[in-house]
Amino acid sequence: MSLEQFKDRNVSQNYRFIPVDKPPTAPMDKFKQVLKRTFKGELFVGLWVVFREMVKFNIHTVQYPKEKLPISPRYRAVHKLYRLLESGYERCIGCGLCEKICIANCIRMDTRYDENQRKEVTEYTINLGRCIFCGYCAEVCPELAIVHGGRYENASEQRAHFVLKEDMLTPLDFLKEGKQEEFPGFGAVSPNADERIKKTPLAY
Amino acid sequence: MFEAIAFYTFSAITIVMFTITVMSKNALYSMSALAAGMIIISGFFFLLDADFLGVVQIIVYTGAVMALYAFGMMFFDTTREVKESIRAPKLVFLLSGMSALLLVIALVAPIVSDHIEPLYPVVEGVENPQAVGIVLFTKYLVPFEVAAVMLLVAMISGIILAGKKMDKSLTLKTDGEDEFQNGGSK
Amino acid sequence: MTLTEFVIATVVKILVVLGLFSALAGFGTYLERKVLAFMQRRLGPMHVGPYGVLQVLADGIKLFTKEDIVPQNSVKPIFMIAPVIGAATAFIALAAVPLFPEFEIFGITVHPIISDVNVGVLFVLGVMASGLYAPLLAGMASANKWGLLGAARTVIQLLSYEVVTGLSIMAPLMMVGSLSLIDINNYQSGGFGDWIVWAQPVAFVLFLIAGFAETNRTPFDLLEHEAEIISGYATEYSGMRWGMFFIGEYANMITIAFLASLIFLGGFNDWGFIPGGLAIILKVSFLFFFFLWTRAAWPHIRPDQLMWLCWKILLPLAVINIVITGLVLMI
Repeated sequence: MSLEQFKDRNVSQNYRFIPVDKPPTAPMDKFKQVLKRTFKGELFVGLWVVFREMVKFNIHTVQYPKEKLPISPRYRAVHKLYRLLESGYERCIGCGLCEKICIANCIRMDTRYDENQRKEVTEYTINLGRCIFCGYCAEVCPELAIVHGGRYENASEQRAHFVLKEDMLTPLDFLKEGKQEEFPGFGAVSPNADERIKKTPLAY
Repeated sequence: MFEAIAFYTFSAITIVMFTITVMSKNALYSMSALAAGMIIISGFFFLLDADFLGVVQIIVYTGAVMALYAFGMMFFDTTREVKESIRAPKLVFLLSGMSALLLVIALVAPIVSDHIEPLYPVVEGVENPQAVGIVLFTKYLVPFEVAAVMLLVAMISGIILAGKKMDKSLTLKTDGEDEFQNGGSK
Repeated sequence: MTLTEFVIATVVKILVVLGLFSALAGFGTYLERKVLAFMQRRLGPMHVGPYGVLQVLADGIKLFTKEDIVPQNSVKPIFMIAPVIGAATAFIALAAVPLFPEFEIFGITVHPIISDVNVGVLFVLGVMASGLYAPLLAGMASANKWGLLGAARTVIQLLSYEVVTGLSIMAPLMMVGSLSLIDINNYQSGGFGDWIVWAQPVAFVLFLIAGFAETNRTPFDLLEHEAEIISGYATEYSGMRWGMFFIGEYANMITIAFLASLIFLGGFNDWGFIPGGLAIILKVSFLFFFFLWTRAAWPHIRPDQLMWLCWKILLPLAVINIVITGLVLMI
């Protein structure tokens, strides 16, 4: 399918009507139709098709808990909080933009100044019962600190799981093993971001 | 011994079933008991080595009582009791009891006087269906054919009665030609 | 054979048939799910046991331990009896079916038939027909409108196919001249060319179609078609009572497969180099597979189409078949 066809909103032009004959009314015509349908072998075509598929054994089942389909990097599931790669500090600077922009009003954060006079987040929770996974928080975050992860399996004993700061934050040992991969998805900088940066004209 | 046990068991079940059929106010109980009784009766045929008749009893009454169920389904809410209004219950009870008694006496009298013997005893080597067939197509040929013709007549008249407006669809009718509903609501 | 021996042999046979066919009916559900899945490019049950073989066991445990719900407004005794009728008639019908050729075990000759009624065919068909009382009573007693619709469809179905079943096997019975399944089987003992299906192809097709209707399999799956009437007669059922309907249905399928192979496909006679016992297992398995195959391939029809098909097409065909057979036999 070409892009133009795909973008065409006026689909009615492309509709094709399948010719359907009116059902016969005269008894003789009805009888002929029955005969035709009986001996045409349409039923056996159906039998053959399913038998062929059985013999071909071309199975499409994904046995879900054992094997999972890869999900898109832009998939928006439960949130994650990232750390800085080198120092291991939290990326979040406590600016509160995510809290402000959240349209479902589900993010709550508590901040204070630490000993270095740096803003530090003490509490960070997301009410997943209200979250609509719109992705605005990840998009607005200037530090790429809050992102959407790929974890879509949300079964747990407590409804408060996954949503506290300690659940979302990358664990330190995890970071040290280099397992925190840079987020490629929604709101992330594009791979060629460096090339696209324009130098600030210093003329003024 | 087995025959005696089977006979008394079947008799008890049959009597109980038909009593329920008559006594119960719930149409579903009555019909189910009737069906069960009719099928249990086939047990007597099997006991008498009349396999063919027993099987025919099962087949015929399965279909027949099934049609009764269809009527029951259409006429009653079969899960509720039917309200009966009998003006003179004593009279009804007396009359029906008397007629039942008369029937029993009329049927049992020959057995009591020991004058009953099979007209067509089971012959060794002749199978059931063959025996039935021979009797049907020789001695009882005329009643058999008359019954067949009567059934044919009944079938044709049934088709004619039911089929008068068969070419008109009840569901595809528009409001203008809706004569049944208008007539019914007035 | 003395009376005691007879009683012991019969009881053993009954127990074997009951156990074997309950297990087979359960295993039939597994086979059905697997075959349907493969035909629809799925895998089917995979998790319980190797390739999901023990799924039957898991289902059985589930059904046995589930709560047995009886709705408040239902007619309780009949509601509770109905599934028992379904399962019982299916097994009673098996009583008159000769399952295998005679064989010897520990020096005793075994006739693998519980009761050799000499009108076997009629007995089996009659008992199977009365098995349709199960869905009828279930639907009418459960005080549920879907159930009532299912029950009404049961009546329609029985009154439609019953005549066709009887008339379709009439022609082969005329050729054989006996109603005993063993006699019918022995009639075809001459090998592949002696199978009645070659002489009576029309009767075979009619019998198969009526058999589908009798077991409520897919082209005539009216009684409990989910898309139309939720679950039909079984809407209010749960637990083992619901399971009994299923055991009855699968046992009926096996019985019809046995009947078709005994009457039309040469029964348990030796087939070339294949011994008789294996031959009938092969035939029955193929027919069982055919039941599943059509379920994957064919759409199901409306109740009025079933009546139209049975009364206007199949019944005249069956009668014409009988007339022609009679003429040929006369000449």
